[in-house]
Amino acid sequence: MNTPNNTSSLRSALVVGAAALSVAATVCASDIIPAVSQTRPIALKGATIHPVSGPEIASGTIVFDKGKITAVGADAAIPADAEIIDATGKHVYPGLISANTVLGLTEIGAARATVDIEETGAINPNARAASSINPDSELLPVARANGILSALAVPEGGLVSGQSVVMRMDGWTPEDMAVRSPAAMHLRWPNLAINRDPRASKSAEDQQKEIEKKQKQLRDTFAIARAYWHARKTPAADFRSDLRWEAMMPIFDGKLPLFVHASTLAQMEAALAWAKEVQLKITLVGGNDAWRLAPQLKESDTPVILALTTALPRLRDDPYDTSFANPARLHEAGVRFCIATNARGSEAPHERNLPYEASMAAAFGLPREEALKAVTLYPAQLTGVGDQLGSLEPGKAATLLVTSGDPLDFPTQIEAAYIDGRKIDLTNRQTRLRDKYREKYRRQ
Amino acid sequence: MRFPSPSVARRTFVALLAGCALSASAQITTAPKHGIRENDPRLHALTNARVVTAPGKVIEKGAVVIRDGVIVDVGPSVKIPPDARVWDLTGKTIYAGFIDSYSRIGLPDTLKPEPLRSDVDQDNPEAKPKDVPREAVKGMHAWNPRVTPERNAADYLKVDKKAAGKLRDLGFTSALVVPGRGIFRGSSALINLQDADINRMVVSPSVAQHIALDFDRSDDGGYPNSLMGAIALVRQNFLDAGWYQAAQDAYAKKPATTERPEANASLAALAEHARRKQPAVFEAEDELDLLRVLKIADEFKLRPLLLGNGYEYRVRKALAEKKAPVILPLEFPKVPEIERPEQAVEYQLDELQHWDRAPSNPARLAEAGIPIAFTTEKLEKADKEFWSRIRLVVRRGLNKDAALAALTTTPAEMFGAADRMGTVAPGRVANLVIASGDLFSEEAKVLTTWVDGFYYDSDLADDHDLRGTWEVTVDGKTLPLIAEGEPDKLDAKLGGEKVGFSATADAVLLVAPARLLGGGEGGVRLSGRLAGDTVSGTGDAPAGATVRWSARRTAPHVAKKPDDKPTPGDRPLDFPETYPAGAFGRVAPPELPRAVLVQGATVWTSAAQGTLQNADVLVTDGKISAVGPGLKAPAGASVIDAKGAHVTPGIIDCHSHTAISKGVNESSHAVTCEVRIADVIDATDIDLYRQLGGGVTAANILHGSANPIGGQNQVIKFRWGGLPEELKLTEAAPGVKFALGENVKQSNRGHRSTRYPQTRMGVEQLIRDRFRAAQEYDAAMKKKDGLPPRRDLQLEALSEMLGNKRLIHCHSYRLDEIHSFLKVTGEFGVKPATLQHILEGYKVADEIAKAGVGASSFADWWAYKWEAFDAIPDNATIMHEQRVLTSINSDSADLARRLNTEAAKMTKYGGMSPDEALKLVTLYPAQQLRVDAKVGSLEPGKDADFVIWNGHPLSNYTRVNQTWIDGRKYFDRADDMEARKSFAAQREALVQKALAERVKELGKPKDDDSKKDTQGDKDAAPKPPGSVYDSGGDRDTCSEHEHAE
Repeated sequence: MNTPNNTSSLRSALVVGAAALSVAATVCASDIIPAVSQTRPIALKGATIHPVSGPEIASGTIVFDKGKITAVGADAAIPADAEIIDATGKHVYPGLISANTVLGLTEIGAARATVDIEETGAINPNARAASSINPDSELLPVARANGILSALAVPEGGLVSGQSVVMRMDGWTPEDMAVRSPAAMHLRWPNLAINRDPRASKSAEDQQKEIEKKQKQLRDTFAIARAYWHARKTPAADFRSDLRWEAMMPIFDGKLPLFVHASTLAQMEAALAWAKEVQLKITLVGGNDAWRLAPQLKESDTPVILALTTALPRLRDDPYDTSFANPARLHEAGVRFCIATNARGSEAPHERNLPYEASMAAAFGLPREEALKAVTLYPAQLTGVGDQLGSLEPGKAATLLVTSGDPLDFPTQIEAAYIDGRKIDLTNRQTRLRDKYREKYRRQ
Repeated sequence: MRFPSPSVARRTFVALLAGCALSASAQITTAPKHGIRENDPRLHALTNARVVTAPGKVIEKGAVVIRDGVIVDVGPSVKIPPDARVWDLTGKTIYAGFIDSYSRIGLPDTLKPEPLRSDVDQDNPEAKPKDVPREAVKGMHAWNPRVTPERNAADYLKVDKKAAGKLRDLGFTSALVVPGRGIFRGSSALINLQDADINRMVVSPSVAQHIALDFDRSDDGGYPNSLMGAIALVRQNFLDAGWYQAAQDAYAKKPATTERPEANASLAALAEHARRKQPAVFEAEDELDLLRVLKIADEFKLRPLLLGNGYEYRVRKALAEKKAPVILPLEFPKVPEIERPEQAVEYQLDELQHWDRAPSNPARLAEAGIPIAFTTEKLEKADKEFWSRIRLVVRRGLNKDAALAALTTTPAEMFGAADRMGTVAPGRVANLVIASGDLFSEEAKVLTTWVDGFYYDSDLADDHDLRGTWEVTVDGKTLPLIAEGEPDKLDAKLGGEKVGFSATADAVLLVAPARLLGGGEGGVRLSGRLAGDTVSGTGDAPAGATVRWSARRTAPHVAKKPDDKPTPGDRPLDFPETYPAGAFGRVAPPELPRAVLVQGATVWTSAAQGTLQNADVLVTDGKISAVGPGLKAPAGASVIDAKGAHVTPGIIDCHSHTAISKGVNESSHAVTCEVRIADVIDATDIDLYRQLGGGVTAANILHGSANPIGGQNQVIKFRWGGLPEELKLTEAAPGVKFALGENVKQSNRGHRSTRYPQTRMGVEQLIRDRFRAAQEYDAAMKKKDGLPPRRDLQLEALSEMLGNKRLIHCHSYRLDEIHSFLKVTGEFGVKPATLQHILEGYKVADEIAKAGVGASSFADWWAYKWEAFDAIPDNATIMHEQRVLTSINSDSADLARRLNTEAAKMTKYGGMSPDEALKLVTLYPAQQLRVDAKVGSLEPGKDADFVIWNGHPLSNYTRVNQTWIDGRKYFDRADDMEARKSFAAQREALVQKALAERVKELGKPKDDDSKKDTQGDKDAAPKPPGSVYDSGGDRDTCSEHEHAE
């Protein structure tokens, strides 16, 4: 015990400390105070370190300073002024990254006033998630308490839904929280499936017409946006601006990735063909049927952000483990992918279960180290922050977890977490309520 | 060059003639006669015909004598009355008139079935949807507008002559006209299809009561808006009908001292049906409805007839036990559009199988001994499709006599008219069909129908068949003419060149290029009269010269025997039938080994033995007989080496909406405890299989949470492959769903509702009020004097709750509502079994424990609605610590597949011990459902419901290897891997078969009206049927957030 602030029973200290704090706390908007900046180097010593980018280090040290990792290794040098924390018996992992969520944009799904995930209309490229992240959302501390330290907040709905932001899960303002903004433009491929139920609200023919109309709208949208991009380069005297097409310009400049949300075989095939035709590089999001076209994905080097490995099989004939085994099949085929949840309002409160989406894939054939990468390094790479997040390497952000074990399995506790070297509060609305009522029974 | 055929004009002309064949009548009528009376003699002798007197009974050459609309003599050597009008029917076949067993002919649109969807024309959105309002209910009737048993089809009839003529042209001389709206739809009428007034047409004005499990599918539907609601309404009305009769009788006896019962035409009509022991015809929408309606029929001792849906073959064993006749529409699925692979994946195996098997349905039913009858119902173009379908089902193995019976004797018996119809015999009504040959196997035509002794020529009757080889002589020049093809669309060649050759009645037209007949440009038009095998007449040559011509048939047409080689459409592919149909169905239940020894596993007993390392589980005759180390395998036992594996009790899900058909909620009324999940178990739900793959062996199937007092639940075991009844865990105590809070006060709806209650205050009062009502009901049911007590299934269920004989499972969130609910139930001496969800249970765990009520919660769901914002993942742990009997449930077809991991979260949140955590999904739910004597732990004497895992059951890296129920292995991952391959192969074979048909279709011009049908017969195809099975998931639970709780 050579640090003022650490004990071997880190966990009980946290629990007791939180209890003391929160009994008095009122329960309203999150009253958790963003962490203070790192003032001197910190060295976590004696832990099993899981850099993810390389082999695990059985008893190693990780040093970080000014928010960045400076050294990782069995015998990493510890600067003289470092705060040394004995983490013997603990494990250190990079923070988990949620690559498809509406965290920050929603609070309570059924309370419309708290939901800001979907703008009206089909074409909203100018909508920016970064403008509406609520740093005081009670959902964020709950997610990060289970290791989710960064997230891609994605607008929903329409055809072009808007721009996402990669956020760190701690900060005073949306700007504080933004790691990369905008991170990507989100396009939702129209539903191509025809409901053949005779009771379906529209006939098969009418549905087909609607599908064609939407696909045409999609093509038109990109054609117009491209024309605008050309016109904008050397604007005529009477050039008039359009925020929508303005927002899409970086796509054609190759500066803003295009994420296409598509789940079914038909949607993904259509998206791939379209991307080829308009010569845009895309990342697919969703991918229930990705296993069906793994070779095409590999061949076109199209990465996939898989939404929910625990999704029910899409079709009756699909094997019961279709979604569980989807990542393993993509891995076998050499497709780049990461594992995420679903950017839906209903899913946001449950973002903390992201690690279990990955271990479920491991139960069905994905190598465990790949499962870990699928919620750390790979989402960092696929959301354009691979140089900053996702692994424990010198130069990367000191966004990491100290745990009692494998964060992808249940008994494990997240005992401490750092975002950019700042030690964050792992309590949340739920731990405060827990402590309040434990106190009730303690008094009985 | 092709010459136009004049056949279209001719057809119209003949049809007009046929329509006025006979209007005369010597029948007694009550209507005054204006003008000159018409008294045509009504004695006819139909001679020299092949007479099929009944299915399987044929007089090769005989006669039928008809007098005044009644058959008076039939036989090979009948004495023809000298005054009879004699019809020489040499070469023709006489059948008894056909009966269309389900028809809407003559009904107003308001009594015809609603269209499945209100199509709005996309190009013309202003146009009105096809929706036609229901016939209004007026006067004294049942409270529910869908209950109209008093309605008689006969009262609404207005038969269009053309429509009757169309049916006659198919050979139908009678039809059962069925009202088509509502649940109790009313009485059908059996009519003869003659051109006469309705009074004369009606043979039986009230044949059967017609019942459909119809419900409101709109968003704001009235009662019922679920299938279970419809069934509950049927049940209550049958009870009410009995009560009504008794009440009227009681009142009639002592009018002075008895309260006058209400007058109700609907109940009176139902009571009358019961008294007359009339059959009840149930419309079954799918294979499961067939079983459901038979159950209702059993319950009320009805004589059921079924309107089928094409899926009967899938449950034919169960149908055969009941022997209920089935009326079969001949609608078959169209060829699946599988030519594009991304399209093909959207077709599921059960749908492909059904496309392949549907035409064999009648044959399969007949083989199983189930009486069948046919109807034109659901055929879009019956006039074109009907006979090709009949011939198709015959090619698919239906015996020709059985097909005839399905059109004659069977419906006659079903409709109580066997003494008048169905056979050609003295004393029967003179309803006959004259056909050009065997209608069931060749392209024979209906030439004439006789209805009530009047004859109606079909528009084919006057057709002359010009086919054959002819010698045509024009101005001395002779050329050979060969005419083949269809009689109304000849393929004729004169001197080897295509020409136009046709006949309208006996007027023959031959149009040929002039150069064939002496030269010149243009064509020669020759017209003449047909007499036997010769034609003679005149014609115009191009130059304007008139020519004389004649023709002589030198050789008759030799009908190309319809290819006796079976085509691919003639038989379904040879794959074993499974239940349910489609992927992962079972051919038979899994076998029951005498003994099974699972050896060397880590055994989690969820019982006093705790968790045993390197232990064995011995199963004998489906029960656990021993658990412990080093057990000996009895002789013949199957031994499973489970070293490294873990064995746990089967997972029990205390809150599930899996396997429910057509509506999880009866959400119309605030109190619906008369509806029963038991009525709507869907054993075909693929989620059952998927959850077996997650180790689930039993579940509490609950009604939704749309009402304070909801429907009755059903505990099932996941005996996949069994019929709904076989899934039920009959030992489970009956129960009911209650709900409090946001859902029942409808606060998350888009618009403001006015249904009581709209506050938690109202919820508490409503529950109190209904408990009071139940107390008063109990008292009323014991009364001896006055009107007989009325059995009310809703109050009866409430009364069972008061007696703690029916368990309450109450959806609840907030501490205030929990508190109030426990108070109300406590006051009435009611002890609820479980509080479901109970996300704020941790706040009042002490109270819950004190009340002795169980709690069944999510592991970590929260924040999907306001009342879930205070949920914490430590909830279950804290309640458990406070000695609340606690379980973890799924309420989700997805979570149900991994309930072990939901339980495992309790080791993380609050640090519950692994053994206790596992009990949250095994022993504790079993106790909550009062089935722990049978299931929930691995103890000798209990059912052998267990799971073999490939690792620690509370780890997310673990998966299920095997799931056993009752000592039978219902899931095995290794078997599943094999099954996927074999089902995929079957799928591919069906796709290939469909592809061959699709290629034929795709080769046709798009606007070709005669699109190829399923099995290669030539008529327009019906609507796409879709899969009867859905793709799983709880999609119809309720809205997203409502579903989640």
